[in-house]
Formats: sequence, structure tokens, C-alpha cells
Amino acid sequence: MASLKVEIVTPEAALWTGEAKGLMARSSEGEFTILPQHTSTVGDIVPGLVRVATSSGEVGFCVHGGFFQVGPDEEDGVTRATVLAGIAERVSDIDVSRAQAAQEAAEAQLSSGADLDEAARSLAAGALARAQLRLRLAAAR
Amino acid sequence: MAGGQERILRRRIKSVQATRKITKAMELIAASQIARSQARIAANRPYRRGMQRIIYEAASSDPRAARKMLATPDQVETAIVVVIVGDRGLSGPYNSSALRAGDRLVHMLQHQGTRVRLVTIGKKAPAFFRFRGIDVAQSFTGIADRPTFADARLVASAVAAPFVAGDVQQVLLVATRFHSAGSQSVEVEQLLPLSMPTDLDVPTSTGLKGYTEFEPEVEDLLIELAPRALESEIFSALLEGAASFHTSQQRAMAAATDNADELGQTLSRIMNRARQDSITTEIMEIVGGAEALRSGK
Repeated sequence: MASLKVEIVTPEAALWTGEAKGLMARSSEGEFTILPQHTSTVGDIVPGLVRVATSSGEVGFCVHGGFFQVGPDEEDGVTRATVLAGIAERVSDIDVSRAQAAQEAAEAQLSSGADLDEAARSLAAGALARAQLRLRLAAAR
Repeated sequence: MAGGQERILRRRIKSVQATRKITKAMELIAASQIARSQARIAANRPYRRGMQRIIYEAASSDPRAARKMLATPDQVETAIVVVIVGDRGLSGPYNSSALRAGDRLVHMLQHQGTRVRLVTIGKKAPAFFRFRGIDVAQSFTGIADRPTFADARLVASAVAAPFVAGDVQQVLLVATRFHSAGSQSVEVEQLLPLSMPTDLDVPTSTGLKGYTEFEPEVEDLLIELAPRALESEIFSALLEGAASFHTSQQRAMAAATDNADELGQTLSRIMNRARQDSITTEIMEIVGGAEALRSGK
């Protein structure tokens, strides 16, 4: 019986592990779906929604960029899909008011602008992109 | 003046007991932190292992592209040395052994004619190196006790930027690795160019040697992958450093508490003898006085 084991892990904690029917995400080459028996693959994940289909419905994750790896598990007949993300959270865990505040703070920092050095600018831009993604996914949930 | 000595001793015992209270409290706090920091290492392990597995797969499927990222350059003109220590002292040999290892490494590199840029993490490091006449290019403080991944990214970007720009050809890390609660050791490891993971626990029979698809191509993937792998390595080094710090502090404070117990015991024994002596002397004086009065009658 072919089955799929999905792990969504961040540096601070494993967000989700378990049996799944499929994994849907988007890499720099386009949308993809991983099903049991998928061939060994390594690739990147662009910031966006990662969906895990389980027997009890779908779980959505807000992933701010990362990588995935698909390969056979130690256990026979099991395919393992691992998503590695520097920053990620469950869509249901997104704190809208915090994301809103972060968006405003980042926008203010970017528009006040002249005295920002390169590093501070890229930090603020990153924060802005994350906040916008969170708000977009939270609105769709 | 036996009574005077007794008073001095009593004061010393009191001060030893007060110190003991402090060391005992620090011991208990450190002990509770050990469990927490060990849990954080455990939580980080799946990510770190996954990252190493991806690097391994990418590098072994396209060795030519990997050589650009992974090979050590023949000529290292400038190297960055990253030293991780704690923000606080009173932790036994934790800080000093990592600092000494860093000092040795810097001297060895300078001896080979390599210029060294020093990046330190932990409040205890800058003073140590400045005292020895070694310039600290950048120092991070306030992150050693409870490192977050955002801290690791900050450190990673600080060392990656000069490497990518070509100013620096090698980045080395000196940190205390946490093997278990009973064993920690200071180790030197190469951060950049990325070193091929060696202690990989992947079963070689299950496909890793087989054909693997990559999207995007390995070369592009490695360019994206390298900074993330660097962050991951730095983060786990920070986590293990924090766990080692707490373990070392707990051990040091337990020893200090034991010493305080022993000193208190010795002092109270001396004090009791002094008190006994003074009572005996007093009795002898009274008896002697009474005797003298009676014989004088």
C-alpha cells in the first residue's frame, strides 16, 4: 500500500508531520503536487501557500520560502516529502492584527527612506513581503 | 579575647551562607534552562538534518556545480573566524575554553599569513580579544542565552556578504558542541565554503544514490541553498552553545554550593571550639578566683 508521509519543518520546530494524500505547493518552476510514489525530487518553494491534503481535510501552511525533498522513506512503500522553511506557520495560526501592524511598520520604514542602508532596506522589504503574504492567506481562509 | 574571634567567625559563616543561597539559586535556574535548551536542539534536528540531506543530494548529483560552492580554495587570503561564547560568566570553563580555542586558531591563521576578521557572539568575547590585541570586526551580544532563528540569520548575513563579495575566502566557526548532557567539547568547523555533511544518517540503499529530479537545476538550487544552509548551521551552533552554557553553569554552581557547605561546616566547627574555649577559660578564672579568696581568709 503506497502512502505518503509529509513533514513541514522550521528551524525552531516541526510544524506538522503525518500521513497525507498529497502535498501541493509552488516552486520557482511552477505549481506542483506530490502524491505517493512520486519520484525523488529536490527543489525550492517560493513564498506562498503550501497545502497538505489529509483524509480529514486540507491543512494550509503559509511558507515564506524554502525547499522540499521527496524520496523513499526507510519504511518500504512509503514516500516521504519534507518541506524545509526558514519561516512558516499554519494558515489558521496567522495573527491578522500583528501582520497588519508589521505591514504598516515596514511600509513606514521604507517610505521614510533616505537614511536606510542596504541591509536595513532588505530587512524591511522582507518583513513587508511576509506581512502581505500573511494577510493575503488569512483573508482567503 | 576569645569572644571577639567568635563574633568574627559568626559573621563569616553568615556571609558564606548568603553566598550559598545565591549559588544554589543559580544552579536551579541553570538546571531548568538545560531541559529547555535541550528541547530546542531536539526541535531543530529535523530541519538541520533535512537541510544536510538536500545539500548532500544536490552536491552528489552534480559534483561540478558543487565544487564551486563546496571546495576549499587553495589560497586563503582573508578568513572570518566566528567565535560563540556566552553573555554571562560564572559558568565554569565554558567561556574560557572556547575563547582560548579561538585565540589559538587566530594565531595559527596569522602565522600562515592569512588575514583574520573576527566575529564574536557573546558579551564575554570582545574584552578577551581586545586585551590580546586582536581586533573584533563585529560582535553580537544579547543572543547567546536564548538564540532565535532571526538572530542566526543576522549573523549569517554578516559573514556571508563578504564571502559572496569575494573579500573573504573562508569562514571558520569556533563553538562548543553539545553531544549530551555529560559531554560538550569545543570544535572548529568550516562554515564557508559549505562543508559536505559527513555524519549523515541516511540509508544509502533507499534511493539517495538513484536518480533524483531537481527543479530548478542543481547549480541554481545551490545558489539559493547555500545561505539557508549557513543559517541552519549557525542556528544549531547557537542552540548547542546555549545548552552547553547552561550545563556548564549548572555544574559550576553545584560545585560552588558544595564548597560553601563545606566551608560553612568548617567555620562553625572552629567557632564552636572558640566558644567552648572561652567558656572554659571563664570557668577557670572563676574557680581560680574563688580558690584565691578562700585561701586568703
